[in-house]
Amino acid sequence: MATCTRLAWRTSLPRHVAIIKCKRSLHSDTLKREPVYPAIVPSKTAKSKSAKRRREEDYHNAVKSATVQDKLQLLTKVQRKKYVLYPQTFALNADKWYQYFTKTAYLPGIPDKFVVEVGENDVQKAPAITDKNAFSELRSLVCDSILQENFYLKKPKPFLLKEQETLFAPFIKNMVSGITSALAKHSHLLEVSSLDFNPQVNFYWMRGERTVPRGHRGGRVDPARFQIDDTPLCQIRVPQQLPEFLPLETDVSVEVPEIRFAPDLLPMFRRQYDNNIFTGSKLADPCSYGHTQFHLVMDRFQRRKLAKANLVDQIEVGLRANAIASLFAWTGAQAMYQGFWSHEDVTRPFVSQAVITDGQYFSFFCYQLNTLALTVQTDTGNPRKNFCWGTESMRLYETIQDGNIIGLDDNVLKLLVQFLLNGAKLM
Amino acid sequence: MSKVIMHRLKATNPLCALNPFNEGSRIHTRLSRQNVAGQRFFSISGCLCSRAPPPRKSTPTVDIPGLERVTYADRMHYVPGLAKPKFPPWHRGWHDPHHFTGPKYEEMPLYKEKPCYMINQRTNMLEGVKQALWLTKSKMIKGLPSQVLSLAEDTANQIENQDERVQQAIKHARFWDTTEGRPARERFCPVLVQDLLHLCRTLQVRHPSLGKRILAENYSLAAYWNRGADLFQVRGRNGLLLNSQSPLPPVAGKEEVASTSDLVLETFYPISPTIDLQLSHVFQEKSQTGFQDGYPYPHAHTLFFMESGVKHRLQPEQLRAKMIMFAFGNALARAQASYGTQPQVLEQPIVVQGVATNGRTFQFAVFQLNTTDLGPDTGVKNMLWLDDDQDLYEYAKVRPIIKKKVVRVPAGLAGYQPDTFKKFLALYLHGAV
Repeated sequence: MATCTRLAWRTSLPRHVAIIKCKRSLHSDTLKREPVYPAIVPSKTAKSKSAKRRREEDYHNAVKSATVQDKLQLLTKVQRKKYVLYPQTFALNADKWYQYFTKTAYLPGIPDKFVVEVGENDVQKAPAITDKNAFSELRSLVCDSILQENFYLKKPKPFLLKEQETLFAPFIKNMVSGITSALAKHSHLLEVSSLDFNPQVNFYWMRGERTVPRGHRGGRVDPARFQIDDTPLCQIRVPQQLPEFLPLETDVSVEVPEIRFAPDLLPMFRRQYDNNIFTGSKLADPCSYGHTQFHLVMDRFQRRKLAKANLVDQIEVGLRANAIASLFAWTGAQAMYQGFWSHEDVTRPFVSQAVITDGQYFSFFCYQLNTLALTVQTDTGNPRKNFCWGTESMRLYETIQDGNIIGLDDNVLKLLVQFLLNGAKLM
Repeated sequence: MSKVIMHRLKATNPLCALNPFNEGSRIHTRLSRQNVAGQRFFSISGCLCSRAPPPRKSTPTVDIPGLERVTYADRMHYVPGLAKPKFPPWHRGWHDPHHFTGPKYEEMPLYKEKPCYMINQRTNMLEGVKQALWLTKSKMIKGLPSQVLSLAEDTANQIENQDERVQQAIKHARFWDTTEGRPARERFCPVLVQDLLHLCRTLQVRHPSLGKRILAENYSLAAYWNRGADLFQVRGRNGLLLNSQSPLPPVAGKEEVASTSDLVLETFYPISPTIDLQLSHVFQEKSQTGFQDGYPYPHAHTLFFMESGVKHRLQPEQLRAKMIMFAFGNALARAQASYGTQPQVLEQPIVVQGVATNGRTFQFAVFQLNTTDLGPDTGVKNMLWLDDDQDLYEYAKVRPIIKKKVVRVPAGLAGYQPDTFKKFLALYLHGAV
């Protein structure tokens, strides 16, 4: 009302304009001096849009100026209901959804770095073991650890749904620790690494938003929060970052699928508990970068069970979803440990690798985290996306007959060795 | 007085009758104590009753041969004055594992008159190491053997930045492993052992023969022997076993072994050597290492015990006894597999090492099996080198201990002792260097 009347007053009485101009020029002299009063800023406590914006800005500034420990605490402090994302899920076609939640583009195949080309000795290439003796030693080590658990060790029949845990988990543990220590002479990075068994990996982030449909906050816009709680079978952490697969700003013409439905339809469920961001060790640990994770497929999602349920097409999908979720959680937590978060996006890409296995079939995944800016405010106009490379699952061996392994595939083993030798030239 | 109050008085009457001090009160009751006995008053709480009601008298049933009792079986409900019917036991006609009752011990095919004393991983031996020495017929020597100690002292066998990395491993196990403030003992104890083993494995760069080892968990062991007049067995799952392709060299030479025959075993007379062992009449005389024949890593190298339980935690003395018994059991099973079950003095002694920890204190043992002839107290004895109660660190506290406003123990790792890890490493390297 007031503006209307004033406008009317101005237009109707043009002779006053001269007076106003005169006043303005008078005031412009005083502007050069130091302001006596502090700048007028919106209220902190009012129920207005500007006040809300100011509270958000204050919060962002506080997080930006805090130390990493305080940053993690500030970012995970407020508990609200959040979608719990299970890396191994029964949901059908979960990989597309997980790609959207983590803004990950999936590239089939392994990165160019691991593709062995004869007669090329590039520094960028990952080293491979050329010595035949060394490789045959590794091969016999893997055979022994498979046979120990499946043939030589006398153990009772595994309990219901504990088959993977009793038969294949010790095999993977023995294989990883054996190969890691055997390869330590080729890679100093593995010599100073840290090997965890059944560690915790957690990540908490926000992506997308929704309007609260009803209740006392009905009509308000609320960000969708996500939490991953993952326990890989074992993981190797190293004190130095792995080299990137692609430069940060590379544009690869692979789209991230967009899901326009609410996550509840996957189905995903919302729970409220502690928000955690954790790489498997606390911030003080010098081995703060990830190297390789090893995941064991649970009994529920075994190949033959899925085949029995007529879900053969979901085998690879489930593995892919597992890799995307687990690797995003782990790599994201590593980036957060370096002080990056959605409003301070990463300045260098973070890289980790994963091997997902059910004891017989192995699939290999690499992940490059290019962006953590996944919230709605920071995501608009952000061309970066995360990348996940992955192979189809490959069979390590065919069967075990009378203490002999039939059809051991050397290519799988070579790829595993290449994965573990990644970063060998760093130190 | 209204009806309601009268009713209440009636309800409190029995209680008043129980209380002798109430006799002179206005409420007059005719109930005597005899009338009240045998009744329970659900209207008042149990603590108000002076004592529990006496048990009911059971009337003996009299069976007269030739006379059939009149029961209420055909009435299908209780009738006063008629006898309770007895029916033959009912069988459901199919095997239900939830309601399975096995045969009596005496009727089992494996039942034997002479009992056997069993040692399993829950055995909590009262006399500890003394009892274990008597059972295994061993001579104990304090401290680790000189071969192992020289490995520990040699600087060529050390990991680079050893102390720093060991402290990181301890901190990882005690502080960094969880999002919570402090990991539980069930978690940090195995994590610490695995971290230390990972550190030891990095020495494979210098000693490639360390690669000829493999860890085995959840294997089940069985070994039996006669000691005195009794039969003993070591059974079941135990710790984490490090197996090796090549056997450990004997620690003591032949002269030293022969000299042990003069030793008189220590007794703990009023207490029986079989105390706290499980007595069983149903058993099998079985000897197995837990692995099939042809296993490429047949020689037990080191047994790791992680005493991480909360409920059934063993005291250090009992933990040492358990470690000795299982190291002996592994050696005995190996000896019986390679030399047969006949008691004899072994040509090539078998050595098995043991490491037990509760996440802070370590117990180290080296056991050398010289003889499987354990029946008589005379003759050659087995040998045991024991290094007990070695602290890896004094305190690992998330919060400081403050008493009377003085910080007694600061937060963080305190009192790290590098020698303990050196011994751990030496035991790991033993046989490969």
